[in-house]
Amino acid sequence: MKKVIVGNHAVSWGVALARTEVIAAYPITPQTQIVEELAEMCDDGRLAARFVKVESEHSAMAACIGASATGVRTFTATSSQGLLLMHELLHWAGLGRLPIVMADVNRAVAPGWNIWTDQNDTLAQRDTGWVQLYCENNQEVLDTTIQAFALAEKLSLPVMIVLDAFFLSHTSEPVDIPSPADVDAFLPPRNAALKLDTSDPHAFGALTTPAVYMEMRKRQQEAFDQVPEAYRLIDADWDRRFGRSWGAIESYRTEDADTVLVTSGTITSTARYVINERRERGEKVGLVKIKMFRPFPTEPLRRALAGIPKVAVLDRNISPGHGGIFAEELRSALYDLPSSRRPRVDGYILGLGGRDVTPDVIGECLDATRGNQSSSSSREDLWVGVKP
Amino acid sequence: MAESKAILDIAHGVPPVSVSQTSTRVNKTGSWKYIRPLYRDRVAPCNQGCPVGIDIEGYMNLLREGRVDEARDLVLRENPMPATTGRVCYHPCESSCNRASFDQPVAIHSVERMLGDMALGKPAAPALEKRAESVGVIGSGPAGLACAYHLARLGYSVTVYEAESEPGGVLRWGIPEYRLPKAILASEIGRIRDLGVTFRTNTHVGRDVTLAELGMHDAVFAATGVHQSRELGIPGESLTGVWRGLDLLRAVNAGERPQLGKRVVVIGGGNTAMDCARTALRLGAEVTVLYRRSRNEMPANHEEVEAALHEGARFSFLTMPVEVTGDPREADIDPLRAIEDTFGQFDRSSEDPRVSAVLCARMELGEPDASGRRAPRRVEHSEFRVACDTIVTALGEEADTDYLPAELHGGAIRVTALGETSRTALFAGGDLLEEPHTVAFALGSGKRAAIGIDHYLRMKAGEAGADVELGELKLGPDGNLSMTRWRADDPVARVNPVNEVVRVTDLNLSQFGHARRAEDVLRPAWETRHDFLEANLGLPREDAMAEARRCFNCAVCNGCEVCLIFCPDVSISRRDDGKFDIAYDYCKGCGLCAAECPRGAITMTREGL
Repeated sequence: MKKVIVGNHAVSWGVALARTEVIAAYPITPQTQIVEELAEMCDDGRLAARFVKVESEHSAMAACIGASATGVRTFTATSSQGLLLMHELLHWAGLGRLPIVMADVNRAVAPGWNIWTDQNDTLAQRDTGWVQLYCENNQEVLDTTIQAFALAEKLSLPVMIVLDAFFLSHTSEPVDIPSPADVDAFLPPRNAALKLDTSDPHAFGALTTPAVYMEMRKRQQEAFDQVPEAYRLIDADWDRRFGRSWGAIESYRTEDADTVLVTSGTITSTARYVINERRERGEKVGLVKIKMFRPFPTEPLRRALAGIPKVAVLDRNISPGHGGIFAEELRSALYDLPSSRRPRVDGYILGLGGRDVTPDVIGECLDATRGNQSSSSSREDLWVGVKP
Repeated sequence: MAESKAILDIAHGVPPVSVSQTSTRVNKTGSWKYIRPLYRDRVAPCNQGCPVGIDIEGYMNLLREGRVDEARDLVLRENPMPATTGRVCYHPCESSCNRASFDQPVAIHSVERMLGDMALGKPAAPALEKRAESVGVIGSGPAGLACAYHLARLGYSVTVYEAESEPGGVLRWGIPEYRLPKAILASEIGRIRDLGVTFRTNTHVGRDVTLAELGMHDAVFAATGVHQSRELGIPGESLTGVWRGLDLLRAVNAGERPQLGKRVVVIGGGNTAMDCARTALRLGAEVTVLYRRSRNEMPANHEEVEAALHEGARFSFLTMPVEVTGDPREADIDPLRAIEDTFGQFDRSSEDPRVSAVLCARMELGEPDASGRRAPRRVEHSEFRVACDTIVTALGEEADTDYLPAELHGGAIRVTALGETSRTALFAGGDLLEEPHTVAFALGSGKRAAIGIDHYLRMKAGEAGADVELGELKLGPDGNLSMTRWRADDPVARVNPVNEVVRVTDLNLSQFGHARRAEDVLRPAWETRHDFLEANLGLPREDAMAEARRCFNCAVCNGCEVCLIFCPDVSISRRDDGKFDIAYDYCKGCGLCAAECPRGAITMTREGL
């Protein structure tokens, strides 16, 4: 069934098709539509879930942690300040190894108060032990939402689906909605190996001494190490059933390219347009889209970019005092390639606080990297379109 | 897909998440507490406020659970005639309802009326084993009927002596048809008759039989009510065209339709006055009610006053009649109605002077008197005349106690807490007592005397001691006696019951949502003032059931699970009977359950007590 829906509702449909059992959320622009739609689904019986109203995002995540610990499939959604308020509990979910799925609609953080998109809210949660998957369009949003539950429950890790404010959240696109029966076949009910049981009570999250804490961390890291392969299998299964796959990363027209753009989120779609134009003019340019940010898909990126001379990373985020976060992560991932095959990585900071990233802006970045004859990566990322 | 079992694997003796390897049951956190929660059912204020002594909260809870038949039977254990009280009781229960402090009190009377109507044609709860003793009941008003009903259920042979041709007393002869249809009353009296109670009508004790002749009974209950209308005590009172209120009501209740003329003056501000005014309206008159104080001081029930106003009665407050004047002219009556007047109530050919007006004086209110109301004072030179064809007086009534032993003559009869007079084996109730003269108090006094008689006869038979622990029999410290407690067969399971009334401040109102009270369906006044059909139609059943769901169930655990949800130690669990257990080994005594309980059914008690 195809429907024209906004990105927020694509999340809602995905959550409903996954037969989520508990939803706890607090409203915040531009996320609110996700849980509004879910609340209506719970109310009119389309979704047999318990919708827990709470007084803050901190409580929303606390409720999700409690619910997930009892073994039920659990979801929440938030944005920006709401995600920041959850920060403490994101660690509880992460180290508690609870397969909670959350949608975050990327929104810039305050001050100045801003409801438009950039990635700093989610990237600030980089080290909380959540898988992060960034989406480019509404179809990918719906598919990824369902895939996220499969991935989360496979490895007992929480998963964050990320979509751009307004460019996805409030933009309508045709979305193919799979049938419930097909989704049921792909995603059976959650079967938790470890869960709260009042008839056999155990303490969760109690004092853990130096003698064992580090081992738990190591187990968490080992689980993250398994994510790329696990996601590849899940995505392949999805492809078999529904004829679509997304990949942890995606290479687009990178064959024989001398320069490749690296993007995430909706900038990717605009960048595809630029690449197509340039290819028509005979320029050897391509694109790599990063969907999975945590764990960082180091090996796939090395395979995709080894031997490419020049890479331009478009970062809709900033780590103050360091630079664009995707660019830094990528430089680190490519560092130990042999120097002959190691690309020069240029970073561009753009689109913060929802500023438009147009084909012209992207073209400017591409031209700058192609025209730069320096052989080594610059540590200075360029700010694009900033008023003097 | 199943989550990886690997999460449970213990590598190097360390689990992948922080989870205790032993059960937390080893840690008996309950040993830390110094106070502990205890489920203790207390008494809802409506139960204490009901003069009949009905477990209102109990039947509301049964209705909320959809157990309608059990709710109906619970009412019948305390009240022989819920269809009647649901219509005519002035519901003091609602005045004490805790919900009044939240939005509006529960419409208890409407719910009781629904249950009463459902109970019509249904037998009373089964009687106990038959006993040898017999009891005589004098008077078949609400007090006599209640006493007979409860005694019959307790196994006694009961004979009711009634001076009138039909039983019912004030319910049959005083309260108008439009408030209490006779068919409803007859059906409820039929239920009492079906218990084996014998009614000897047309038998006036003191005239047809003497009290001494009733000595064949092992005990006697006197409930003959008040019938003697107080007199105006002003000149002209005996003129033709002056009715005593009770006589008018009695005539109409007997099926007569007396001609009152066009202009009727009703004197008085009580419920009888309102009944007379509304009856006179239905007989085609224009009605003016004269009352010597203001509306605030009227003893009549507010709803009755409102109904009289809506139906077109006019009120002249601060008005005191000082003289009835008459002249020999014919009253201004409708000639057509005069022809239909087959009873000759209005004698057109009378030579006697008949009422033509009442001379009144204007009053003003002064300092409060003994009743707490501001005393009216006559304003000098304020006399004015109200022309009228008929005057109806409704100034209250007095008892005729001539048939009783001399020591009980003169004023209200004093009885013990179990309804016994100063004479052994003679009990009394209803309007003979000092209590408010309402149907509910009368029913309550009848039940109280039935318990008193049961106790007296069992004591005489050597089956009971002299002492009765009255406190435990009352619904709250100031409530009426409970028959289920007397018989110790309360069908409602109580948890550690404590006989104290829960106040609104003991409730956790944040757990409740606001919901508008359902108001009875009233036929329009322009319609009701022309007929004697029932004016108040009560509530549709679904609305009455919704009212039951508005009930807070004050002070009684109804299994709502709020405690279970809030307990941070998972120490509360549900039992098969719907109540809860507390695992005191683990309860830390935090008190959240007691604080969150919507209805104050959990009390924190000191540890070790």
